[in-house]
Amino acid sequence: MRVVIAEDLALLREGLVALLRENDIEVVAQVQDGPALLRALAGHEPDLAIVDVRLPPSYSDEGLLAAIEARRRQPALGVLVLSQYVETAYASELIGEDSAGIGYLLKERVGDVKAFIDALHSVAAGGTVIDRQVVAELLTLRDGAGEARWGLTARERDVLALMAEGRSNTAIAESLVVTPGAVEKHITNIFAKLELPACDDDHRRVLAVLAYLRVAR
Amino acid sequence: MRAPVGSAQAPTPTTVHAPWSAFRETIHSVAERADASIDLTLAPGAVRRRWMPVLAAGLSIGEYARSLVRRLAFLTACLLAGIWLLAGQGYFWPAWAWLGLGVLVLVDLGAGWAWRRPPGALRRVACVWTLVVVAATILVCTWLLTYLLAQDRSFWPAWALLGLGTAGSAYSLIALHDRLLVARGRRALRARIDMLTRTRSQAVVAQAAELRRIERDLHDGAQARLVALTLQLGRAEMRVLDQPELRGLILDAQREAHLAIAELRDLARGLVPPLLADRGLVAAVESLAARYGLGTAIEADIRRGLAPAVESAAYFVIAEALTNTAKHAAAQHSWVAVSDEHGALAVKVGDDGRGGADPHGSGLAGLRARVEALDGSLRVHSAAGAGTVLEARLPCG
Repeated sequence: MRVVIAEDLALLREGLVALLRENDIEVVAQVQDGPALLRALAGHEPDLAIVDVRLPPSYSDEGLLAAIEARRRQPALGVLVLSQYVETAYASELIGEDSAGIGYLLKERVGDVKAFIDALHSVAAGGTVIDRQVVAELLTLRDGAGEARWGLTARERDVLALMAEGRSNTAIAESLVVTPGAVEKHITNIFAKLELPACDDDHRRVLAVLAYLRVAR
Repeated sequence: MRAPVGSAQAPTPTTVHAPWSAFRETIHSVAERADASIDLTLAPGAVRRRWMPVLAAGLSIGEYARSLVRRLAFLTACLLAGIWLLAGQGYFWPAWAWLGLGVLVLVDLGAGWAWRRPPGALRRVACVWTLVVVAATILVCTWLLTYLLAQDRSFWPAWALLGLGTAGSAYSLIALHDRLLVARGRRALRARIDMLTRTRSQAVVAQAAELRRIERDLHDGAQARLVALTLQLGRAEMRVLDQPELRGLILDAQREAHLAIAELRDLARGLVPPLLADRGLVAAVESLAARYGLGTAIEADIRRGLAPAVESAAYFVIAEALTNTAKHAAAQHSWVAVSDEHGALAVKVGDDGRGGADPHGSGLAGLRARVEALDGSLRVHSAAGAGTVLEARLPCG
């Protein structure tokens, strides 16, 4: 897999590059701002771009805008946006019309190396990965300021949030230290409570949940 | 009665008769013209009205009396001059009468001037100076007349004038002493208020800029370092997958780092909400409204860049109002309007819920402090059952 990284902080950029190389991912270019990202993408045609939301020169949402522009130019490109905070508005903009090959994660998720590398592969292959924080936030909001309108249990919320990150049942079971059977039971309950059609495919599962939470337009 | 006059000024018979015949002719022509104009254009009594003011002309008794006195004085002066002329001139005695009449008019004018001063010390001082000027005029004119008519060359009123001037000045100084002090105090106070206003607004602006700088420093500094730390811990963890004890320690360290990152994130969010810093007020409010799922109608009419301090204050007002609506109001509709109004940002947030919000509650008190620090105002309308409307005005200097 070939990757372009757009990150202005050298400390993080170098850490990321080392991490990816250790996991047999080729970093073809490292850039520090939006315009350079677009040039690198056109030059290298990578499978995936890892982009920090906040980039120079404006240090606001420059990276997000560059990522959206990159997707417009190369619809097949996988884009993983990293940020130190999540905004549901940004998730919604990033997903736009087509959520295939989109990821939006908090930066600290790089600490869980295995899950992070899985997420990279998933996004590069056209999957969708949304940080559990976005789902948690949306659930709280849609629930009407914390009231458990849908009656999801705390464990079901955890499972839903991990599902949105594109994880498989096995990965969710591992993460929550429960049996895969228990995870399946939780998922069936969640889909029943949210009145969503059940499905097995990880990517479509994420989409169904996000569509319900109205992240995707 | 005849005053000694220099030979150069001695009147000759021709000069005695010429003025008189001229005067008589003038009187005749005036009388003729007056008669003619009465006949032709003016209503009966017009001339008398011109010379004698009447009460009906909208004058107060005082004004009427004063103008009557002035005109009578003028007429008397003319009459005396006429008598002197008819009496064969000589020593110009009407000058003394003129002096008396002039003093009368001067007293009248001076009193009027003094009376127009604001009541209090200033009016008293004006009255005193009117008296001083009248007295000085009497003295100087008497001296002048004696000098001209009697050739007395010594300037005898000098000491009296000095006394009058000193007394007037001393009185003014005593009467206005407090006033001068107060004026100086007031000037100092105004300068202090100006300085405090200026430095406070500078402080507010600097504080907003500082908060954004701190948020940026956290983002690029501590937060980034902690992320790099978890990344390195993650890499280390991958190398000790077969040593459960060591891996456990690393995972513990990572958990701590995650907690620190989460705490810093909450801290940064409290300083400046990221969407506000990145995209401005309207985007931040839209996100806020979407978050509460209240179906809030948002109307924004902002035609200029807002100062960070104003933007943050407006944001926190709207956030607090929407939180209250979501928590307490049980409202069907909710709306936010933000507009530019005469150099200020007008923020209105309303709902049609149950109302009855306590305007002195801690949340609203905090908002009020924030708004007032910008010289703004905050009003809450929340009658029970009639919804709640929060109005803030934030000057944009």
